[in-house]
Amino acid sequence: MNITSPAIPWTTSDRSAVRTRSDDLHAVPAALRSEWIKLTALRANKAILVLTAVIGALIAWVLASSATDPTLTASELFIFPLPLVAMLATVTGILMFTGEAQHGTLAVALTARPARWVIVAAKTITATAVGLALGATGMLAGFGGAALGGVELGSGSALASRALWALLYIALAALIGLGVGMIVRHSAAAISGLLMWSFVIESLFAPALPEGVRHFLPFSAGYRLLDAGPSFESPVTIVHELARPQYALIFGGYALVSLAIGTLLLYRRDTN
Amino acid sequence: MITVTGLTKHYGDRTAVDDLSFTVAAGRVTGFVGPNGAGKSTTMRMMVGLTRPDRGEVRYEGVRYADLQHPARLVGAVLDARCMHPGHTARNHLRAMAATSAIPAGRVDEVLVDVGLESAADQRTGGFSLGMRQRLALAGALLGDPQVLLLDEPSNGLDPDGIRWLRHHLTDFAQRGGSVFVSSHLISELSMFADDLVVVGGGTLLAAETVEAITARQAAAVVVETPQPADLTRVLAGPNVTVEATGDRLVVRGATKATVSQLAFEHGIRLVELSEVAPSLEETLLDMTGASAEFASA
Repeated sequence: MNITSPAIPWTTSDRSAVRTRSDDLHAVPAALRSEWIKLTALRANKAILVLTAVIGALIAWVLASSATDPTLTASELFIFPLPLVAMLATVTGILMFTGEAQHGTLAVALTARPARWVIVAAKTITATAVGLALGATGMLAGFGGAALGGVELGSGSALASRALWALLYIALAALIGLGVGMIVRHSAAAISGLLMWSFVIESLFAPALPEGVRHFLPFSAGYRLLDAGPSFESPVTIVHELARPQYALIFGGYALVSLAIGTLLLYRRDTN
Repeated sequence: MITVTGLTKHYGDRTAVDDLSFTVAAGRVTGFVGPNGAGKSTTMRMMVGLTRPDRGEVRYEGVRYADLQHPARLVGAVLDARCMHPGHTARNHLRAMAATSAIPAGRVDEVLVDVGLESAADQRTGGFSLGMRQRLALAGALLGDPQVLLLDEPSNGLDPDGIRWLRHHLTDFAQRGGSVFVSSHLISELSMFADDLVVVGGGTLLAAETVEAITARQAAAVVVETPQPADLTRVLAGPNVTVEATGDRLVVRGATKATVSQLAFEHGIRLVELSEVAPSLEETLLDMTGASAEFASA
């Protein structure tokens, strides 16, 4: 067949080339570029970024303005909006997959890349980047909002460590969202299920559970990656807390397991 | 060249596709026809790896689809024209597709022009008509400048101009050496540009031949108009002859025009009109599949 396009550099023999594992590995950057285009082309994602900044600044500003404890500083208050930012990151992670599954573009992507793990890898890296971006935005806005609310900036010594743990929390939240989206494949069902779990089941029923079990509740474990001192209350009370790395392993475990199940289902299910 | 061998798919107890084998030649448009539920879409989805066959395989130039390094460079497929995010513009939809397949971004504007969507390139696809979606989906299939096009019901939603444009596009693609495999339930439309047909019914292969060969399977009918339809029906009666009567008009199958004329003359039956009508492709396929009205052209 004649090649009609000056933009096409490949030859006839290139077209029927057989792929190797190395080809799949080299296809990941291309799939990442595609994910980036899909992510940045949607107004909804830009709106989530703006919402993250607004929520971060507003919550920190309100808390700083109404603070009665004179020792509270911006370097502590910037953490407070992050549980909501984590929810936004989780929802974004969900939509990264369910949006594609529901609109049929997942089938288009899988037709272009038969090695399905390439698509999963690209989405996982993108979701991590989204989590980090939302986390950084929420923290910067929170710090600014708290400073505008009139509290001292505070010591920078613990700030870096606190910010890094917080970034890990938000990035893992986005990955859990992606994993849940891959399993459920329906935006409304996944988001409502997640909100129901986080705000109703985990918050209301956790006190009835033994403390040993409470350590392993996903969002409770995630909360504990944020350490803003005694004024920062988690919705799930735990008297004898584990160390933060242990909570990171628990929260990260949920992300890993949900992504593993989602990937398995992607390989097993037919794609509409 | 596409080679489909022994493709089989079950959903529980139901057999959607049963041991389907056929080839699609280069330089030709091959129509894929069958009534609703015949297994066309399942077959096409198995051809691009979206549905896993229980048995059988599909090869493109001897290579399985899943083994192709860059499938979009060899095969352009449109299985559902609705497969696009309503929040993406046409250009961004194609940019994302091009990126996945490592196709140069410059190709996006080329295919937009190719399908006549350059003026709508920056519109969100949520506002597109079905016809515009069909064009955009075809643009996506053409991105890799493939040698094979697989299209499932591509004329759905197209206006007559759009259908004519599509027909021209596919014919031109085949004339340049490409293979076109296109499913449609609009047989009359398909008969205008398909060279070969793959006919399925109940998931099994009924025929895989040229359009001419399939049409020739059914003998021509003789149409007679006579003021004595009952007399002529009695005279024509025979083991291989069928007569359908509508008032003074008879449609006779199993007898030639000369035979009908001779018998009428011998029995003194006056004829007002006598003509031979070649069967349409649609009638032939309806007879082959024994299909319901769903299969008839709209």
